[in-house]
Amino acid sequence: MGVESLVAILVIMPFAAALLAFGVKDARVIKPLVISSMLVLMVASVMLLMRVVEAGPIALSPGHLWDNLILVLDFALLAYFLYVGFTSKHPLILALAGIQAVMLPVLKFFILPSGLKVQPVLYIDLLSVIMTLVISIIGGLIIIYALDYMRDHEAHLKLDHTRQHVFFFFMVAFLGAMNGLVFANSLLWLFFFWEVTTLCSFHLIRHDLNAEAIGNALRALWMNLLGGAALVLGMILLWQAGETLSIQDLTGFGTVGAALLLPLALFCFTGFTKAAQVPFQSWLLGAMVAPTPVSALLHSSTMVKAGVYLVLRLAPAYEGTQLSVAIAVFGAFVFMVTSIVAISQHNAKRVLAYSTISNLGLIVCCAGINSDLAIAAAIALIVFHAISKGVLFLVVGTIEQRIESRDIEDMEGLVAKLPLLSGIAMLGMITMLFVPFGVLFGKWASIQAAAVPFSAWFPLVVGFLAVGSATTMVYWTKWIGRMISLVSFERGAVVEPKSFLSYSTILLMVAGAVVLSVFVAPLVNILITPAESTMGYAKAFETAGWHLRSAFGLFTPWPLFIAVALALLLPALLVRVKSDQYREAYLCGGNVPGAEVPSFYSLADQSVKIRTGSAYWESLFGERSLTNWINGAAVILLLVLFVGVFV
Amino acid sequence: MMGLITRSRVKSPWIVHYCCGGCNGCDIEILACLTPLYDVERFGMLNIGNPKHADILVVTGPVNNRNARVLKTLYDQIPNPKVVMAVGTCASSGGVFHNCYNTLGGIDKVIPVDVYIPGCAVRPEAIIDGVVLALDKLNLKKRTKVG
Amino acid sequence: MSSGELVLPLVAFLLAPVAGGLLCGIDRRLTARMQGRIGPPILQPFYDFFKLWGKDTLVTTRENLVWAWGYLLLTMVAVFMFFFQQDLLIIFFVLAFAGACLIFGAFSVRSPYSHLGANREILQMLAYEPILLLAAVAIFLKTGTFMITGVFEFGEPLLPYLPLAFVAVLVALGIKMRKSPFDIAASEHAHQEIVRGVYTEYSGRHLALIKLTHWFEIVLILGFIALFWAQPLWIGVVLALGMFVLELLIDNISARLRWAWMLGVSWVVGVGFIMANMVLIYLAGGAIRV
Repeated sequence: MGVESLVAILVIMPFAAALLAFGVKDARVIKPLVISSMLVLMVASVMLLMRVVEAGPIALSPGHLWDNLILVLDFALLAYFLYVGFTSKHPLILALAGIQAVMLPVLKFFILPSGLKVQPVLYIDLLSVIMTLVISIIGGLIIIYALDYMRDHEAHLKLDHTRQHVFFFFMVAFLGAMNGLVFANSLLWLFFFWEVTTLCSFHLIRHDLNAEAIGNALRALWMNLLGGAALVLGMILLWQAGETLSIQDLTGFGTVGAALLLPLALFCFTGFTKAAQVPFQSWLLGAMVAPTPVSALLHSSTMVKAGVYLVLRLAPAYEGTQLSVAIAVFGAFVFMVTSIVAISQHNAKRVLAYSTISNLGLIVCCAGINSDLAIAAAIALIVFHAISKGVLFLVVGTIEQRIESRDIEDMEGLVAKLPLLSGIAMLGMITMLFVPFGVLFGKWASIQAAAVPFSAWFPLVVGFLAVGSATTMVYWTKWIGRMISLVSFERGAVVEPKSFLSYSTILLMVAGAVVLSVFVAPLVNILITPAESTMGYAKAFETAGWHLRSAFGLFTPWPLFIAVALALLLPALLVRVKSDQYREAYLCGGNVPGAEVPSFYSLADQSVKIRTGSAYWESLFGERSLTNWINGAAVILLLVLFVGVFV
Repeated sequence: MMGLITRSRVKSPWIVHYCCGGCNGCDIEILACLTPLYDVERFGMLNIGNPKHADILVVTGPVNNRNARVLKTLYDQIPNPKVVMAVGTCASSGGVFHNCYNTLGGIDKVIPVDVYIPGCAVRPEAIIDGVVLALDKLNLKKRTKVG
Repeated sequence: MSSGELVLPLVAFLLAPVAGGLLCGIDRRLTARMQGRIGPPILQPFYDFFKLWGKDTLVTTRENLVWAWGYLLLTMVAVFMFFFQQDLLIIFFVLAFAGACLIFGAFSVRSPYSHLGANREILQMLAYEPILLLAAVAIFLKTGTFMITGVFEFGEPLLPYLPLAFVAVLVALGIKMRKSPFDIAASEHAHQEIVRGVYTEYSGRHLALIKLTHWFEIVLILGFIALFWAQPLWIGVVLALGMFVLELLIDNISARLRWAWMLGVSWVVGVGFIMANMVLIYLAGGAIRV
């Protein structure tokens, strides 16, 4: 199969499938259609990988017709955003869409020479392929999961008319847009796909059409439009300073002059808005009202990754500048503060949202540190975070459907009620949290990269990373602790209702997270190191057998996996308890014998149930008290980032 | 290994102390054992405050209907081998509360007692003597099961 | 790798619990002396251990026991990696996993005391984890590697370069030894209002396992302190023992304080001091170069 057709399958086919699903509306057709197109997408992404590994990066330039089509669609999109702003009486959306609607024609018709062709339009190197793999495989699994989820979701809402066709239209089209985004080398094309993801996100957040969903969707829209406006402005400035709109040209300049730094800073700013970095975190937190597959697909694994992808893609361009240092400090700051705020959250999806923002901050920080090791860490984190967080969103969504609550306190003792789901949830959290899993490999590499004095500000960055790592541990540990809190030693048989598509996709993904972590060394060898070298960075890891040796340390995944498996699985299998060994928990001798929940005798022989729970320490880590300070500090850091460009 | 465990057992008696409601005189004498003057930690003895960690249940005061079940629960939550010491006249026989309408009498009405230490209040020396006696009994006891 | 390189660490690893137990015995003896008592024999912790080993294990939930084993075995992995001079960051990550097992064990029983202890143990981890990670970074700034081998190849003692980081590590030592004023998760002395916090529901053999783990932990953290004076190593060992005695002194003259205070101390004195130390090294031009 030709490269062109592969790219067409990855970018255009999802749009076609989405339109078809939108047209037929019948769930009986949508299901096989979606499953088959997702499978095709996964296969195509793997074929593209083999292609690029064999033959190196692919450059493609479709004809002028496509350029014009993209332009027309650009204006259609902006017109639609203006319409949304107008009907919802949202001045910010009107203003931001209006600015773009003015700047884009100015750029196209007055600044750029007519008939300009950015060469190449699409440039597919290994970094793009890694993103495509994440988008197509993890995204595909999430969409397949969504088929059963949406059926239950609509049954729960008791809708008169199914709206699944709308839902799957945006979900499937989104994958095409993401693939286009990571393939685009022309910034004009990138801008188009960027705006399409904004559109999909807007519609998916407001999918349930209640007041909260609509309000949050509008907020997400204006914040993402702000990024879009920065992107257009950046393009104008870039053309005037460097006469190019090609990312390859931009990153190929070597060290860039001051004039190019401002557009670069604007592009990074665009990335920050999409990746919901502080102070734009509120749109991602608000997006959690959407059905769970949306959160999993757009707000953890893929769309927000577009933001960090852009920052990472441009990293070679700003290497060695003050901008790079400012980005590192900013990212590390976001990593720390969002994980601190996450400690005070009861709401499971909010914890996941904060954790997502936090990990994206870590990736941004790595891009800012901009060394061989840091870039490798960033790519590894993108992959491992996407898969682990995808699992967590899906499993929490399913748990929410079962227990009808997303409060972590309501998950107390869940392992006794839903053993399989909570087991997967715990495994997912452990892959996010502990050595020797992949996310920790990324964290290990990033702390090492930050420890090298890349600038006078490195103590700040590494300090943020160390505190952030510890706070990350706090909220995951608390959550796992809630689920494993068990009452009684006698457990009845549990019947866990299982729907095939949901459970199989979740299981596949969690197995993928573990297997990928085990095979981290080949992954680094085959994907990450070559991806880095096409970006112009040197090899960061020597792999001796299964060990990964960086310049400063040694990561030995296999011995660690064996050790951890022995330490946890062996006792889990071997510890035996006889029934006469059981005693109730210590309650100062006041236990009420045989109580279902541990209880003690109180006044007048009343039986009082004990109450246990996580601590949230709101006085110290409370969202309400911290958010304004955090946003203020982040705005200052962003100002520093922009001012630093001129110094 | 068993020899090691038997020898260790007498060198590391951890006590949990429960007052069934006496006058607190005996309780104060128990605490006096921990002070530098008597320093029972010399013999590895610790006041552990948690039945699940303890070897010796030290009870003062006469048992009554209200706290009999607490005493029983605490006793059940101590892992074997364990011994029970009734400290003071009240705990041993009911003492001045003998035949009182609201008490059951000595704690042996509720749980098996291994060592009785009379006295009102008991002297710390007597308590220490009692512990030594209790330790002799501790090694005669068997573990009920393999944990 | 010569046989000496293989045998010595292995011997050290096997002797670690013995050393840890002896240190605990010294602790109890010294503490008694500071309080004007005679105190138990030095071997007392071993008597306690074997006694507990020979007792019945009462169980509240089976998972409680499973996590206790995880706590012990993962701590042993960390100590093993330490003696084989592996990557300090990885060692601390493994140690964090082990610490989390203790927390999970306490959470896996619905008992008010062990939950209270577990929530506080999380705070203790939050307090010492950044200090340990940053201390590893500070050492890296001088030696140029996170491998412990680098500390020995460095050829000079580290303490003169890292005095502030050393003070910070002492805070972590206090928390990890679970001594006053930092014994907030499991009161060091029994018979207090939180009973024994995270340890409350353990009994018999599994309580013995936890004691054993604690010995390993003490050896690991004191070993880390010894790294600050690895040339010659005996000074480092004496230094570590000195710091151990200092912690005992602090333990005996202070009460258990509140968690917010602990976090404040560890983030200001701990994280703040190490970052200041890094800045000093950087300004003095002594940091490794890219």
